[in-house]
Amino acid sequence: MNDKEIFEQLAQFQKQNIPVCLATIIKAAGSTPREVGAKMLICVDGKTYGSIGGGCGENQVRSASLRCLLTEKKPALIEADLTDDLGTKGGDVCGGKMLIFVEPYF
Amino acid sequence: MNIIFQINDLISKAQIFCLATVISSSDDRISPGTKTIIYKDGTMEGEIKDKETGQLISDIALKAFTQQEKKLVEIRAGLTVFFDFISTSAQLLICGAGHIAIPLAQFAQQVGFAVTVIDDRPDFANQPRFPGCEVIADDFITTLRRIPIHSSSFVVIITRGHEHDAECLEEIIYHPTAYVGLIGSRRRVSFVLEMLEKAGIPKERLADICTPIGIPIGAESPEEIALSITAELVCVRRKGVNQAKALSNAVRGMK
Repeated sequence: MNDKEIFEQLAQFQKQNIPVCLATIIKAAGSTPREVGAKMLICVDGKTYGSIGGGCGENQVRSASLRCLLTEKKPALIEADLTDDLGTKGGDVCGGKMLIFVEPYF
Repeated sequence: MNIIFQINDLISKAQIFCLATVISSSDDRISPGTKTIIYKDGTMEGEIKDKETGQLISDIALKAFTQQEKKLVEIRAGLTVFFDFISTSAQLLICGAGHIAIPLAQFAQQVGFAVTVIDDRPDFANQPRFPGCEVIADDFITTLRRIPIHSSSFVVIITRGHEHDAECLEEIIYHPTAYVGLIGSRRRVSFVLEMLEKAGIPKERLADICTPIGIPIGAESPEEIALSITAELVCVRRKGVNQAKALSNAVRGMK
């Protein structure tokens, strides 16, 4: 999904009063699966639109988003570390780090 | 207007703009998530009310405009802002609806281009051959004078003959474009370029044209050629025309 589709979808959710989180990669270092500016929407039922790279980084963002929507009700900054080189903890192995901004829209 | 609706409105008008979002702030008056839109001329619209902060943000945005570099900046102690440039979907115009156009239209759509195909032969330029595309079956010149061509337009010229290639190029060359690619044998291409130079088109503008078209991957079949052209489109969109030319020249230099 490109930016256009993400923002169209976000506007749709707002019109229908469906709470949703917008996650954006705002900084990336080393090898990361997606570039700075990549976006993803996360609904309160866990459904996602678009991608910030898949895998554990995305799972981390998904749980942070739900926390944002359900309890914190304010934006959060997530650091996804993809440097777990053997993936032994089920981590991603791209080797980089990403900073992701997660903001709830009610 | 709600800023999300406003962003959508700008995207639908294919406007280029910077979207600045406050990421972290030690200032109680500015909360994380606050957004503001900065236009190319420096005017702003959005949720940042403080004039001084607005000025700081607009200065940084304007500097980043040429490269459209998305970045995180600590604009002053305790205030971090993310500068995003929202990409609208790029337009690909394919002149010529022949056998390469079919896989090219498919691949290009898959990598995010909105595709328009034009040809003067209704047997070739028809909707069933190009699902998901805008298809126009009309005279090349008439069509090219009618449809919008702008600085984010990618144009691929693959008509059935060099006279059509030349007439398409002559129409397109006076518009600002993101990319113009021309297919053809070295002989056919140099013939077309010579013709245009005689018609008074500056050499520097002719040098912008990517020809031979496509990243050199040794493509032979229509699908392979379409893949090599798509690779060039992606390269130009992500890295700029210089990198695409450098890749082509590097391979040609090896021979």
